[in-house]
Amino acid sequence: MFAYIVRRLFLMLLTLFGISVIIFVLLRVVPGNIVDILFDAAGFVDPADKANLEKELGLSQPIVIQYLHWIGGLLRGDLGYSYVSEKPALDEILPRIPITARLAGLALLFSASIGIPLGVLSAVHQGSRLDYVLRVVSLSGLSLPSFWLGLLILMASVSMFGTMPIFNPNPKTWMEAFAIYAVPAMAVGFRSAALTMRITRSSMLEILRQDYIRTARAKGASETSVNYHHALKNAVLPVITVIGIEAAFLIGGLIVTETVFNIPGIARFLVEALRWRDYPIVQNLVMFIAVVVVVVNFTVDMLYAAIDPRIRYGD
Amino acid sequence: MRSVQALAVGVLSVLAISDVSFAGEPKSGGIFRIYHRDSPGSASIHEGATYSLNVPFMPIFNNLVMFNQHIAQNSIGTIVPELAESWAWSGDNKTLTFKLRKDVKWHDGKPFTAADVKCTFDMLMGKSQQKFRQNPRKSWYDQVNDVTTNGDYEASFNLKRPQPALLSLLASGYTPIYPCHLSPAEMRTKPIGTGPFKFVEFKANESIKLTKNPDYFKKGLPYLDGIEFTIIPNRSTAILGFVSGKFDMTFPTEVSIPLLKDVKAQAPNAVCVVEPNNVSTNIIINSTSPPFDNIDIRRALALSLDRKAFIQIMFEGQGDIGGTMEPAPDGLWAMPKDMLESIPGYGPDVEKNREEARKLMQKAGYGPDKHLQIKVSTRNIAVYRDPAIILIDQIKSIYIDAELDVVDTAQWFPKVARKDYSLGLNLTGNAVDEPDQSFYENYACGSERNYTNYCNKDIEKLFDQQSAETDLNKRKKLVWEIDKKLQEDVARPIIFHARTGTCWQPYVKNVTIMSNSSYNGYRYEDVWLDK
Amino acid sequence: MATINFESELRRAGANATGGWRRLAFLAQRYMLGTIGLIIMLLFVWMAASADLICRYDPLSVDSAHRLAAPSALHWFGTDSFGRDVWSRIIHGSRISLAVGIGSTTLGATLGVIVGLASGYLSGWVDLVFQRITDMLQSLPLLVLALVMTAALGPSLPNVIVAIAIPLIPTVARVIRANTLALREQPFVEAAKSIGMSEMRIALRHVLPNTMAPLIVLATAQLGSTILTEASLSFLGLGIPEPYPSWGRMLSESAAEYVRTAPWLVIFPGIAISLAVFGTNLFGDALRDILDPRQRG
Repeated sequence: MFAYIVRRLFLMLLTLFGISVIIFVLLRVVPGNIVDILFDAAGFVDPADKANLEKELGLSQPIVIQYLHWIGGLLRGDLGYSYVSEKPALDEILPRIPITARLAGLALLFSASIGIPLGVLSAVHQGSRLDYVLRVVSLSGLSLPSFWLGLLILMASVSMFGTMPIFNPNPKTWMEAFAIYAVPAMAVGFRSAALTMRITRSSMLEILRQDYIRTARAKGASETSVNYHHALKNAVLPVITVIGIEAAFLIGGLIVTETVFNIPGIARFLVEALRWRDYPIVQNLVMFIAVVVVVVNFTVDMLYAAIDPRIRYGD
Repeated sequence: MRSVQALAVGVLSVLAISDVSFAGEPKSGGIFRIYHRDSPGSASIHEGATYSLNVPFMPIFNNLVMFNQHIAQNSIGTIVPELAESWAWSGDNKTLTFKLRKDVKWHDGKPFTAADVKCTFDMLMGKSQQKFRQNPRKSWYDQVNDVTTNGDYEASFNLKRPQPALLSLLASGYTPIYPCHLSPAEMRTKPIGTGPFKFVEFKANESIKLTKNPDYFKKGLPYLDGIEFTIIPNRSTAILGFVSGKFDMTFPTEVSIPLLKDVKAQAPNAVCVVEPNNVSTNIIINSTSPPFDNIDIRRALALSLDRKAFIQIMFEGQGDIGGTMEPAPDGLWAMPKDMLESIPGYGPDVEKNREEARKLMQKAGYGPDKHLQIKVSTRNIAVYRDPAIILIDQIKSIYIDAELDVVDTAQWFPKVARKDYSLGLNLTGNAVDEPDQSFYENYACGSERNYTNYCNKDIEKLFDQQSAETDLNKRKKLVWEIDKKLQEDVARPIIFHARTGTCWQPYVKNVTIMSNSSYNGYRYEDVWLDK
Repeated sequence: MATINFESELRRAGANATGGWRRLAFLAQRYMLGTIGLIIMLLFVWMAASADLICRYDPLSVDSAHRLAAPSALHWFGTDSFGRDVWSRIIHGSRISLAVGIGSTTLGATLGVIVGLASGYLSGWVDLVFQRITDMLQSLPLLVLALVMTAALGPSLPNVIVAIAIPLIPTVARVIRANTLALREQPFVEAAKSIGMSEMRIALRHVLPNTMAPLIVLATAQLGSTILTEASLSFLGLGIPEPYPSWGRMLSESAAEYVRTAPWLVIFPGIAISLAVFGTNLFGDALRDILDPRQRG
């Protein structure tokens, strides 16, 4: 087990290193940099002025040096300065994390509390009309673009209540907090709920077919007891995996949802920073997202291994 | 000039009185909530070239002089003193001297002196040790030799030749006085001014917060406790926020005409105004390479435009047709109507113009069977893209098949500078309704924002002639003549001048939207909320 | 393997159908949802193929006299702020969605198969390297990677296809690799080896065809998500540029501005995206049931 963990940790670091190289190179391939944007409004400028600014921002150094500089800083906890705001990148990124984390957490909660029970229900009543309807509903959930759903929610909110949630970092009432966080979380969580439901259903079915369930049935355990006591307990395992898959899935959904609902979280910030060619922000944000995804997956694997002794550590 | 100033002061006091009698005694207090259309790159007005910066940060500063904030049409006659108590031109009209107020303090408590004035303009002229990252309005001070001080409370601008327009440039929202003791970098992140409001924080993509300056030198002002800008790039979300009462005012001059109808339907009590904003939508033409190196094709292009259709689509008819200068009645320097219509392509009969254009195209070797294939490049922003789409549709009528080439902001100017385009769709915002600003900035040989590198020495002589002319009527005639020539040269065909709306809740008092600039009207020192 | 599953499926279901049509009819009945999905997909393909015949209007032609017209007999889905016919734009938009969907899925799947086969069959250091690259690509959300890629490449149809295809590679490669590993141990591969067939030929002749079933299942499942990714990219302004009528683009900025005054600009493109993705999802699900019974529900 220990060797397995060490191996996984090493691979994790290797993956993160690779991502850092990929993102760094990709950004430098992008035509135009922050200096072009800053001078865009100024029109024709002295090339020397441009060169000076590039030098000041460290953009004129060889790409390898720039990379080492970044990674070196990163290891020391120094993320550099945003080109646009000229504030430390850390100060720009950190305050936005709780906002996105809250959204993601709520969305996960929403998707689990809807997706798991419906998935179980669907599996238990496999082949019934209910199963049929639930499957169609979950598929349609996966088919709705979350930004469109967000737009529809906004439209409905205005025509029904005459108002709509506008982001406020310190909501005063519970209602406001609900409107600010829960509504967008539902818009993005809807898709996740559909995904959770599908995975729960199929893993539940898998388990219901297993021998020990048959044994339990044969021994005369009631249907309810079989379904909910024996099967669900074991079906929780794959559901943990879902959370791993959804970490990446959610971040994608959050980018558009934060845009639609105008939430100043990290997902929208990434899009804005890309637009400004604000390398220090983009690099570090992408790394942050990668770390989250990798760590979540690692934790899920470890949990899996801890719960299910059948896992082979070799592969 | 003295009399002009006196007149302006008189107008101000009359206006103030009428305001009071109309709206009742101003009430102090309250936070003024406005949504902001996007996240400005920094907080330094001098380094910006978008009014996204002026609106939130103008309340932090003062100018030497300022356009009266309650008269919609900015002109030399509406200029009032601000940090300067008074101003005077020397006899030869080559020195402009300001007497400064002695009771002004920066937000950090340091006293304001003439040295700050000198610092600001030295920096703008590129003469100081510390440099701006970018300095988009350097050309405004081309005629200024230097700025000198006499003691702590007098500063003089010494000119190379008379330039009456300088005062107008100094009165723009683009010309705040910066403190000597802060670096440009500090001004970009945590600006300090002398103005009615102090900077609190600027969170990119989220909000900008200002708070009342209790030590403001105008006693009793400002009325507001603070101003809060919430950054909402999505226009419909922003408007919904305003309609539902989350904001006291929309972002100024940012409500499009179709959205305005929506606001009025949803919030019938809201006060809305529609004003021209002195931003022209124009075509930049690469005349250095085929096909537009051919003057016939350039003329054909100018003849093919159906300006009314543009205005119909973009503004439901509420836009203006004109040359470089903002059209009348809000523009001060607009050509008379008959003069405008005598310019090729401006005549009312579009079909006739296009017939002529097609003849020119045929002369150049194109026709119904041989279309010209080009790309229309523009920035990936709706106000640029939308007219480009209409333009492409219109030039189909003269055998030009164009494809839209959407360019990222980061690549737009480098591409234009490389001359890597044939037609571009461009927006030119004029901060001051003043020929010196728009002619030199956009059409002078080698000027920084002369994107097309248009260069005509004869016209340039006329630029200088009008600039030095102190007789207003003579100057106007010259300006008309220049504007007409620029259009006939197809230097940068102007398609239309935009009009946009601003709305505020009925309890917001003392907001005036300028009708010939969208850069100058945001001091907000006497805005108050009747709640 | 595909056909075997298919046949056994039929037999298991008790069908004694022999004629092609009857068999098809039986399948359609057995997999009703899948059939509906297939019909929806075919409908979109037909729309894309005959767009010029179905539309009364040029999707790019501007008409200042009929701006923001509500849906009517003349303009079924109304017009947008330029007076362009929304129905025509949606029909033509299906071309873009299909081009991106099929283009990037095919590209991603092809590259994924190559990587997966090489990785699974050659093993050793090739496998190790490919595995690590796969890990890296999978640790970034699809949209984040596609965002950075389109920013790097610039917004155009081919670039968007590439940007969406690359994140697909690891998903496909994983499945193919696992299958290849399993197949390598199979007797028929051993047999092929013993008669002296080259590694390359074995891979292409024996291993590849046998991984087709899971590949098709996976590709169909990805089709929907590529369409959604393109829509999201375009919605964020980084996908297919104006004036091409991409559904996501239509929902973006300008449409968002008319949410209240012209709701048809928001509703119809959204329905088009959802329906197209729904169709592929339904079909993909049924296909999985047929071709890959181990995963069936």
